[in-house]
Amino acid sequence: MGRTSKDKRDVYYRLAKENGWRARSAFKLLQLDEEFQLFQGVKRVVDLCAAPGSWSQVLSQKVGGQTNGQVVAVDLQAMAPLPGVIQIQGDITQLSTAKEIIQHFEGCPADLVVCDGAPDVTGLHDVDEYMQAQLLLAALNIATHVLKLGGCFVAKIFRGRDVTLLYSQLRVFFSSVLCAKPKSSRNSSIEAFAVCQGYDPPEGFIPDLTRPLLDHSYDSDFNQLDGPTRVIVPFVTCGDLSAYDSDRSYPLNLEDGSEYKYTPPTQPPISPPYQEACRLKKNGQLAKELLPQECSINRVDKLPQPLIVPQCHTLLAPKVGDTGRNSSPLTH
Amino acid sequence: MEALGDFVWPRATSELILLPVTGLECVGDRLLAGEGPDLLVYNLDFGGHLRMVKRVQNLLGHFLIHGFRVRPEPKGDLDSEAMVAVFGSKGLRIVKISWGQSHLRELWRSGLWNMSDWIWDVRWLEGNVALALGHNSVVLYDPVIGCMLQDVPCTDRCTLSSACLIGDTWKELTIVAGAVSNQLLVWYPATALTDNKPVAPDRRVSGHVGVIFSMSYLESKGLLATASEDRSVRIWKVGDLRVPGGRVQNIGHCFGHSARVWQVKLLENYLISAGEDCVCLVWSHEGEILQAFRGHQGRGIRAIAAHERQAWVITGGDDSGIRLWHLVGRGYQGLGVSALCFKSPSRPGALKAVTLAGSWRVLAVTDAGALYLYDMEVKCWEQLLEDNRFQSYSLLEAAPGPEGFGLCALANGEGLVKVVPINTPTAAVDQNLFSGKVHSLSWALRGYEELLLLASGPGGVVACLEISAAPTGKAIFVKERCRYLLPPSKQRWHTCSAFLPPGDFLVCGDRRGSVLLFPARPSLFKSPGVGSKAITEAEAPAAGGGSGASENVATGLGPVSALHSLHGKQGVTSVTCHGGYVYSTGRDGSYYQLFVHGGQLQPVLRQKSCRGMNWIAGLRMVPDGSMVILGFHANEFIVWSPRSHEKLHIVNCGGGHRSWAFSDTEAAMAFAYLKDGDVMLYRALGGCTRPNVILREGLHGREITCVKRVGTVTLGPEFEVPSLELPDYLEPGSEGPGLIDIVLTCSEDTTVCVLALPTTTGSAHALTAVCNHISSVRALAVWGIGSPGGPQDPRPGLTAQVVSAGGRAEMHCFSLMVTPDASAPSRLACHVMHLSSHRLDEYWGRQRNRHRMVKVDPETRYMSLAICEFDSDKPGYGPLVAAACSDGAVRLFLLQDSGRILHLLAETFHHKRCVLKVHSFTHEAPNQRRRLILCSAATDGTLAFWDLTTAMDRGSTTLGSPAHPGLPYQLGSPCLTVQAHSCGVNSLHTLPTPEGHHLVASGSEDGSLHVFILAVKMPEAQEADGEAEQLVPQLCVLEEYSVPCAHAAHVTGLKILSPSLMVSASIDQRLTFWRLGRGEPTFMNSTVYHVPDVADMDCWPVSPEFGHRCALGGQGLEVYNWYD
Ligand SMILES: C[S@@+](CC[C@H](N)C(=O)[O-])C[C@H]1O[C@@H](n2cnc3c(N)ncnc32)[C@H](O)[C@@H]1O
Repeated sequence: MGRTSKDKRDVYYRLAKENGWRARSAFKLLQLDEEFQLFQGVKRVVDLCAAPGSWSQVLSQKVGGQTNGQVVAVDLQAMAPLPGVIQIQGDITQLSTAKEIIQHFEGCPADLVVCDGAPDVTGLHDVDEYMQAQLLLAALNIATHVLKLGGCFVAKIFRGRDVTLLYSQLRVFFSSVLCAKPKSSRNSSIEAFAVCQGYDPPEGFIPDLTRPLLDHSYDSDFNQLDGPTRVIVPFVTCGDLSAYDSDRSYPLNLEDGSEYKYTPPTQPPISPPYQEACRLKKNGQLAKELLPQECSINRVDKLPQPLIVPQCHTLLAPKVGDTGRNSSPLTH
Repeated sequence: MEALGDFVWPRATSELILLPVTGLECVGDRLLAGEGPDLLVYNLDFGGHLRMVKRVQNLLGHFLIHGFRVRPEPKGDLDSEAMVAVFGSKGLRIVKISWGQSHLRELWRSGLWNMSDWIWDVRWLEGNVALALGHNSVVLYDPVIGCMLQDVPCTDRCTLSSACLIGDTWKELTIVAGAVSNQLLVWYPATALTDNKPVAPDRRVSGHVGVIFSMSYLESKGLLATASEDRSVRIWKVGDLRVPGGRVQNIGHCFGHSARVWQVKLLENYLISAGEDCVCLVWSHEGEILQAFRGHQGRGIRAIAAHERQAWVITGGDDSGIRLWHLVGRGYQGLGVSALCFKSPSRPGALKAVTLAGSWRVLAVTDAGALYLYDMEVKCWEQLLEDNRFQSYSLLEAAPGPEGFGLCALANGEGLVKVVPINTPTAAVDQNLFSGKVHSLSWALRGYEELLLLASGPGGVVACLEISAAPTGKAIFVKERCRYLLPPSKQRWHTCSAFLPPGDFLVCGDRRGSVLLFPARPSLFKSPGVGSKAITEAEAPAAGGGSGASENVATGLGPVSALHSLHGKQGVTSVTCHGGYVYSTGRDGSYYQLFVHGGQLQPVLRQKSCRGMNWIAGLRMVPDGSMVILGFHANEFIVWSPRSHEKLHIVNCGGGHRSWAFSDTEAAMAFAYLKDGDVMLYRALGGCTRPNVILREGLHGREITCVKRVGTVTLGPEFEVPSLELPDYLEPGSEGPGLIDIVLTCSEDTTVCVLALPTTTGSAHALTAVCNHISSVRALAVWGIGSPGGPQDPRPGLTAQVVSAGGRAEMHCFSLMVTPDASAPSRLACHVMHLSSHRLDEYWGRQRNRHRMVKVDPETRYMSLAICEFDSDKPGYGPLVAAACSDGAVRLFLLQDSGRILHLLAETFHHKRCVLKVHSFTHEAPNQRRRLILCSAATDGTLAFWDLTTAMDRGSTTLGSPAHPGLPYQLGSPCLTVQAHSCGVNSLHTLPTPEGHHLVASGSEDGSLHVFILAVKMPEAQEADGEAEQLVPQLCVLEEYSVPCAHAAHVTGLKILSPSLMVSASIDQRLTFWRLGRGEPTFMNSTVYHVPDVADMDCWPVSPEFGHRCALGGQGLEVYNWYD
């Protein structure tokens, strides 16, 4: 497979590179905005889990340029700087990071909080879904501190077994909660975005940073686990009809007539965790098992005598009758 | 809720789960394994058998088990009963099990306690348990009555990725928490002044540059080990962690895994780690790797346990397999490599070739033409003979068989072959075969009766010599039996040979990569039907420039059947006949299973080989009935087991280009090679096998993308299916005739698997895997289901034809035959025969005028398949296969000659988006032709209906002619389109109604269901229009309903069971029944299942007593059952 094969399989990956976005996710935010006019009248935004920064790029274009416009971007990972974007490196689920973010909005609340956070998936679905939910809840917790009344919150969700619990949680704080899927997000992906409009915390609610917001649990009185009363919010597909289909493989020369030219990735990851391991591997320095012959090559006379073979051996590898080892070969 | 009973019916119950194994623990001689919410108990004691003894069902409800903590017994008697805390996700339950006298019973279980947050670790503190929770807090819990006693958070509130609790009382309880910021935080919950008051961390430890996934503390040595996303394991000297303020020193930083490390465990003298690379490593505490266990498939090893007394390591994988390894593994087994010290003043000359006669006699020939023998019992070199005609060039091959039959053969550059009895070298026999170089030598042995030696000479001529011995053993006879001629090629010689049982044919491989079939006794051979194939001059160009005079001798008998260039330019390396099949291996890194039918080599099934082993050198059957593959990977010689995916032996020999030999007898396996002018010998006692055990076979290593039930095999009482479990577990009604459902699954791991699911035991047997695909397999379709003896003969068993398709626009067609076999553990034998394959880009590559066409994108994925079977009145016209393609096309392929020919017939780009589903059905109405209708659905939520019967009619105008000859036809426009959903359609099904209409149901990514009634109306025939005008049916929608929020995620499985009942499955892990036929579909009930990311579902009725079965495939497989 050549370097263009990903360009063929993923049209948005390719378009992102061609348009200078750091990640294909930029199109998700743009398509969400198309549907919900997220940026209308918005001046102050928090971009949680922002690296490598394509959402921040969109935000800095749409919001950052305005007077009093402010974009605060937060991520665990380092991120290349962007004009008009304040960056914080830290874990959004950690108390100290949350405090730092809130400082930027004291006295002048944010209009919009977005979170595109995703854990590095482990492949164990229940762990991944839990970790994803914790990012959303941490973002929600931060939002309850910085968001103005009536403000908007958009966060990535994994639509797995317990997503309905998150919906019921979000409904507590917002007058409208929808589940939206931009066309640039694949059919095969379980990701979607909770679009929560009209921030309206319950009466008497006091934001508290020191306690994490925990997920709801199924209310057994209402049989929410497998009954008909699960909270499933309306689903909206975003992006106009002419939008490219992210599941479709496209030829390199798109229909708009433009000539294809390979573009290298915009922003390679900054110091990923596996960097050292890869360097060692490349130089052949990963530890290897000692093969018997590497211990030292025996001279014949020193050939070790076999130890007594434990009985277990026969148990595990069933013995098969000796097939004629001593029968004399070929009689005429 | 007045009609409650009505709402509850039918209720699905889980029968079988195959999920990643995420929890393992050894207790005495038992192994506890978590599978979904169930606990499996295996017996590990020597006296008994290694087997599963009990499944304790549904311990954790809808949670999955991630770990077990056995309550320590002060009196130390865990051999009769144990209290086990079972936890996973947010759930915790205690069970008390007694297991005296090999009888296992559940004595008591607590309630299922739901925590507010994720449980990372559990520790028994006398009668209570401490829990380390997701946001860095610790809870003291009374697990019997289910109440929280203490709840202490850390001041440093953050999400954790792992935690480890230490200490036996609340007072001394210590938590080591792995934060998402990669730090370790050590703190003491009991230092909280009041309940709920946060405690500050005592120590923060940095080091890893990725998240920490697992920790293990060894109290006796004061060591802590951590495993991380950064692919390393660190060993820390921590002393007694229960003492605050101690020094933490990183004493080891171990890089050995090539991906993230999921698990780590410290033992008294070892450290074990396992990860995403599917490797389990055994380290010394000093950080040296002592062992590497490879064998799991897919996304890694998720759980490890150790039985220290027996020195066993047990691993559980994402592939749902469980394996047991010997910690000190090869200690007694491999004897390692020894140099045989050939070089000596008394033995002049340099070694040219080496071979093995049995596993204890080495033969070597020098450039002085001297043949030497080394006997491992005597341990010294002995010269057998010297013949200067073999000076400059000499081939050397020992005969096969346990002792190499006491024979070896030499060949030289002048056409001379010498057969040498090893014990009496003076009785050697010379044969002058050719006037040029002998290119290769190989043996073929039939039982103990017939031994042939094949020698390739110039011009592709292969001389076949018959070798026999006098009864005294003192003399041998060599007689030329016949000559064969290889197909022309540049390097025209054979490389290997074997008798095809019963012995009428020889199978050979050649340097050009072809596998050939020759009659073993040409004098007796009467070619059936086909004219005799003695090759004429025209067919045999004088490639070797054979002397014209002896033309008759130079030519020989051509192959009666050939698979040309099967293994590519690098050549075939071995052919082996076993169990009715022929196996061939090649330098192209693949091996194939072939079949001879009617004197012809049949299409092939490619078999999976070891990753990275790009030179497969041979294949052997080992005494336990399994097969091993020999090959080279870079500098290493590897013996690999395809059954366990394990590298049984690794010898760092420098590669396969020098002379080498392999021999395997039951007593020992030996591998000899030349290096630095000496013979090196690797020996391992006990043959090839290693005593590692597969406690449970894995299934697919990656997500299952499609599940399809083929049919049911009924076994008579003589085939009593062995029950894995004690009789007390068997459910009532599970006796009776053995019904075994045959189900196909395909996966992103590029394989198709044939599974047997007996209705009696709740177990699954993988019968065969088809590994021909080069990319992920996404869709399956089955047709032509029958019985092995044909319709007249009701023999038990099943036959079917299968098409599979997936990534890289690749499609394969094969046939399947399942028959009873009392000797197999599953009681079934499964034969798969590959029939044909198709790749869009290859198809394109063959087109003449391709420069004028748009190249088909080779990245196209096939998303779904449907079989469209026409009436039987069109002979030779096999069924059509419709494929939903990611490049926006619906393609129709024609299968002919029972699947042996597969070609692209027509296509349409109507949808312009990725097509996700295709489904076909027939419309039958009185006095009308049966009509085939195809429905396709795309990512934009539309369904399109196509009338295939009209399209396929001869002279039909519906099928537009291709733009260029050789290109597919165009499939016109659909009869009807329906905008059913706002986005992608992930499931589709139809059912005819009693009124003669069709119920159509679809489910979407947006969680919605769409159900409507489709009517097919035929316009009145109008005489006036004459016959030219075809009658085209009109499709219309009669009643249409939508259920917007039926599920919270993609609806990926949907089946209309009857006009009044439908079942749907979704990625939200609910299996939901819907009532149909009274207006809107209404919710009846739903069940939470355990398989995440379900991609497909199949349902079928089994029997009136058993009811329905339903298989869900995703990241695992789960089978449900309900009574009708
Ligand atoms: C899908 S990427 C976001 C892409 C980004 N919106 C863009 O457009 O470039 C998800 C990000 O979440 C971040 N993340 C995951 N867990 C986090 C945490 N606990 N705190 C902060 N960031 C986190 C990851 O580092 C990753 O960069």
